[in-house]
Amino acid sequence: MSAATLERSLDELGIRCVVEAMDRLAVILPQDGESEAALVRGRREALRLLGAHGFTHLALELRGEPADPAPLHRD
Amino acid sequence: MSLPPITSPSPTPGADLPDTLPVATEAKERALTAWLLARGSALLGFSGGVDSAYLACVAVDALGPDRFLGVIGRSASYPEEQWREARAVADRFGIPVIELDTDELADPSYAANPANRCYFCKSELWGRLVPVARERGFAAVLDGTNADDRGDYRPGAAAATELDVESPLAIVGLTKDEIRALSRRRGLSGWDRPASPCLSSRIPYGTAVTSERLRRIEAAERAVRELGVTGDLRVRYHGELARVELSRAELERWLAPAESRRLHAAVRSAGFSRVAIDLAGFRSGSLNVLGGVTGG
Repeated sequence: MSAATLERSLDELGIRCVVEAMDRLAVILPQDGESEAALVRGRREALRLLGAHGFTHLALELRGEPADPAPLHRD
Repeated sequence: MSLPPITSPSPTPGADLPDTLPVATEAKERALTAWLLARGSALLGFSGGVDSAYLACVAVDALGPDRFLGVIGRSASYPEEQWREARAVADRFGIPVIELDTDELADPSYAANPANRCYFCKSELWGRLVPVARERGFAAVLDGTNADDRGDYRPGAAAATELDVESPLAIVGLTKDEIRALSRRRGLSGWDRPASPCLSSRIPYGTAVTSERLRRIEAAERAVRELGVTGDLRVRYHGELARVELSRAELERWLAPAESRRLHAAVRSAGFSRVAIDLAGFRSGSLNVLGGVTGG
């Protein structure tokens, strides 16, 4: 898996983001709203890129409301 | 035979079913009835899912309520919502049922969550149900495996085989679509319900299954349902992050910023600190792919 190369490939699609690798899951954290919108629009193309970088799953990390309370850890 | 129109929106499971049943499907149901009559009496592992609900209805019709018993195995990995559906089906169709507590989480082999986790779960389930069948004099012990299931990766089937549990739906060749069509004709309200495998299926292989994690997953899925999400849904567990898989019909809607914030809040209310939405949508056996497990 290569989060760095996937990031570069997504950047070429106009999606500026950080890719976090969790095994073969790539979690995408867009750097701004425009990049998030570009990922949503271009998700089929992004999904096609995955395999070349060793991933099988692609997920967009969601943003909460600005005043979203601190996470509750119970595990 | 004319059936009520299907009102569920595509791609609801079974939405493409024809209004009349093919001769071959009718023949399979007759074969199922004949198979049950040949056994004489039977006990069924009854989850309340589409397959076991249909089989229970056919079995009660064929054998009568004195020679058939459905057994609900209740455990931390069995969703509460499915238990309610199982009880509702039993009440409506006069299916005799009992409930037994099972405790697969107490088995370290299960809790460690290996790729063959289902084997240990089914060993626990059938290890409790088979003695009940013997004590009560039932000739056969049944599960709801259908003909389509046989091509999937299902290590739990080995446990069933070891204890001589039989799968009449698969034996007579009934596929999932055929079971949905036959269920609709019988008036089973859950005929188009998405598959609902156990909650442990949301946890990647190699990550321990705990009752707390299962409760959190169940709470998150319930919260997402309460937003109005229909169709297939899985909240996959990745530690502090929940990855939500939605049907393709729902995915577009929940990717919109305002809706994604609602989804985020709902999943967080269940105790996850991070929420992600899978951009490919729901995939059956998604964690098998992630874990490198293949069918066969």
